[in-house]
Amino acid sequence: MSGTLFSAHDLNIRFGGVHAVRDVSFKVRRGEVYSIIGPNGAGKSTILNLISRLYDTEPGGQIMFDGEDITSLAPHAIAHRGIARTFQNTELFEHETVLKNLLIGRHVHRATNLFSELLFSPAVSRQEVAFRRAVEDVIDLLDLQHYRNQAIASLPYGIRKMVEVARALCIQPKLLLLDEPSSGLNPEETEDVAYWIEDINQDFGATVIMVEHDMNLVTTSSDRVMAMADGAVLTIGKPSEVQSHPEVIRAYLGD
Amino acid sequence: MRFLFKTRYHDDVRLFRHSGQWFWYSVLIGALLLAPVMASDFYLGELALVFIWAIAGIGLMLLVGYTGLVSLGHAAFLAIGAYAHTWFITHGWPLPLALLKASLITAMFGALIGLPTMRMTGIYLAIATLAFAVIIEQIIVHWVTVTGGFRGLVVPRAEFLGLDLGGSMAFYYLCLGILIGCLLMALNLLRSPTGRAMTAVRDSEISAQSMGIQLARTKTVAFAISAGFTGLAGGLLAHKLGYLAPDAFSLLLSIQLLLMVVVGGLGSMHGVIFGAIFLGLLPQGIAMMRDVLPPAIAQVPGLEPGIFGAILILFLIFEPLGIHGRWLKIRRYFEMFPLYRKATYKRQKQFLRTERMR
Amino acid sequence: MEVLQLLVSGISQGCVYGLIALGFVLIYKATEMVNFAQGDLMMMGAFIAYTYVNLMGMPFLVGFLATIVSMAVVGALLERVIVRPMIGEPPFAVLMITIGLGFVLRAIAGAVWGAEPKTISSPFAGDVLRFNGVTLGYENLAIIAGTILLCLALFGFFQFTRLGLAMQAASQNQLAAYYCGIPVKRIYAFVWALSAAIAATTGILVAPITLIDPMMGFVGVKAFAAAIVGGFGSLQGAMAGGLLIGIVEQFAGRYLPTGFADTSAYALLLLMLLVRPEGLFATIQRKKV
Repeated sequence: MSGTLFSAHDLNIRFGGVHAVRDVSFKVRRGEVYSIIGPNGAGKSTILNLISRLYDTEPGGQIMFDGEDITSLAPHAIAHRGIARTFQNTELFEHETVLKNLLIGRHVHRATNLFSELLFSPAVSRQEVAFRRAVEDVIDLLDLQHYRNQAIASLPYGIRKMVEVARALCIQPKLLLLDEPSSGLNPEETEDVAYWIEDINQDFGATVIMVEHDMNLVTTSSDRVMAMADGAVLTIGKPSEVQSHPEVIRAYLGD
Repeated sequence: MRFLFKTRYHDDVRLFRHSGQWFWYSVLIGALLLAPVMASDFYLGELALVFIWAIAGIGLMLLVGYTGLVSLGHAAFLAIGAYAHTWFITHGWPLPLALLKASLITAMFGALIGLPTMRMTGIYLAIATLAFAVIIEQIIVHWVTVTGGFRGLVVPRAEFLGLDLGGSMAFYYLCLGILIGCLLMALNLLRSPTGRAMTAVRDSEISAQSMGIQLARTKTVAFAISAGFTGLAGGLLAHKLGYLAPDAFSLLLSIQLLLMVVVGGLGSMHGVIFGAIFLGLLPQGIAMMRDVLPPAIAQVPGLEPGIFGAILILFLIFEPLGIHGRWLKIRRYFEMFPLYRKATYKRQKQFLRTERMR
Repeated sequence: MEVLQLLVSGISQGCVYGLIALGFVLIYKATEMVNFAQGDLMMMGAFIAYTYVNLMGMPFLVGFLATIVSMAVVGALLERVIVRPMIGEPPFAVLMITIGLGFVLRAIAGAVWGAEPKTISSPFAGDVLRFNGVTLGYENLAIIAGTILLCLALFGFFQFTRLGLAMQAASQNQLAAYYCGIPVKRIYAFVWALSAAIAATTGILVAPITLIDPMMGFVGVKAFAAAIVGGFGSLQGAMAGGLLIGIVEQFAGRYLPTGFADTSAYALLLLMLLVRPEGLFATIQRKKV
């Protein structure tokens, strides 16, 4: 199924004197893997924060997702629309186990109310088993079986990143926002990232918007790439085109 | 060491994870049910008080231990519950309904304080709850028609359907029953989405929002539930005290409640029970110490709070996981004998990263 | 004029709140810990001054200085014994430990000096200043003057010295501060010593008015509210908050029914938290994720 799943128009945001994102517009097609690249400070993570509504874009900007205008949506509502995200510095629930973290990811699918939960009605029990089953599917996808009952604090960094992605997947999102999935990982782990991005995109059926620095990963995994510098879009196109674009080369290497 | 082989998803969901737990808890409950046969009226009264503290502790633990919201004014909820319950009883409501209504009213107040505090964190929230408690105390003092102000309020004896529940045995069973009910509800809450949402809010607000959890609603619900449990305890406390006065619900009591959850072990329901036992035993312990110590120290006016403070400090420095934490370590030692290593529980220092940027 | 009188009394009382709030904020700014026992440190300072001046017969100024030094030592000791093991622990634990500390200090004060109110023979007591129909005791004047001097000194310290900068660094990211060679532990000791000294000064200034007894530290709770109203983390905020609460209290006491004066501070606090939770001088910003 093709067609535009997500589009952003004229996103703008300033932090103090810094114009972090200027007049950024782009469209993402359903089912594609879309990467955003650029040197540090280009505004890439800020774009993700704008999409997930942690920041507000200045008036005049618009964000459309699956036919709905989400420009003014509250941050907690975007998960309910089907948008999930990971964070650059993992923001996991440190005092809980991996399993608990993933179960929290199922929150958007909750259909029970407080009263029935206090009494743990049969409906709540059924829902819990259903959640547990759904979470196990994600664990299978990302091979996290060994870590189910370990506390986050005791996990190595690479595994934490995977748990972060797994948790986002538990939402069963239509759109997954990945913020530098390979940062802090060694080359072998980065290769694995490429594999599971493919799995997520093909098997899980999620569209992916990825902010990334590792050009190998970008070239291998992405359908299209958007290059940014200093808050503005430089060019959009296939990975090979963008890599050889003169402005992009200038932004990375300087004049 | 016990190895758990889970064969169904339900095994992960249910309350008792393995038969051993069933067994030991049944023994405990059995012992508690038989206690009135062996214990004197005095000890039954003390145990009933421990149960009441535990119910209040469940409320406070849900708020502080599981949602990460510090409340320095929880005694106010005890007060609201106590006075509301007494008012309903004296106006003819049967005991269970009066308790329920008192609990609901306290829950409403909890939501009331929860709403403005949505955006607050850490210390701000703590102070806001303190301010709230002071204001509630003033309301109690001045709303003389309902609360009797400084003159105080006499609490009618507990009874239901003609059965006298005020005697030590009956009251003991009443408190025990309500405690078990509350524990079950709390445990149910913690293994369902709402409970998980609460811990998510405690650990990472930004993450929780990305998971679709509404911060304001979760915090308000946490406050309301916490206040509800504490209000229920307040209603029972009213019968235990027999006589209500505003200075019974002071800042000292709020701190004692916090002491209970911290010393018991933050973040677990076991901690509530341990803490309640500790809080119930402490006055006896101090009284016994007073007999032993030289008069110069024993007569000091602030001795009891001073000892509270000292114990709090000692626990926080040497055993921050509380009694429950110490129990886990001991149990692990025996489970893993002789392979236990002290490093298992070595505290990872979390170096301070400023909370001023959230 | 009545309004002027209320204002002046309010400023005087507000200075007391402000000074204690200053102690809070100092510790918070440097260590991001909240010291709930600040009011009780003030109480200890007052008692120690009483011991030096009244019981041991030292002249006021000597006793004053001796108290400052003694309390600074006490502050550093407390830091070493109670606060330092808490480095790296969550803020809630630190809050609780300072609450415990407050209880212990009160018990010690009760044991050593007894619960009967005492006073210090201070040179400021007795006389009053009259102008424009306003009566201002010399003690109040001393409080206001002392506050101004202290604020100027602290401002200069944080703005212009390396130590002040190091303190701010240590409070924002301990690990990074360690890496930069900042002696975090020594700084903490210094901050607590300084805070205790300020508390002691406040205690001495306040003693002629409120009398000294183990419970006098409870004014710290209102000072806490003042710190929050002003914006926790800002020294100007602490003073501004203190003054605001002091003034509001006086007016509430005069124009509102009884009992409201006491709660006015807390009502103001809740109002502030509702309307502008960061306080008058905000220091909280949003983290970049």
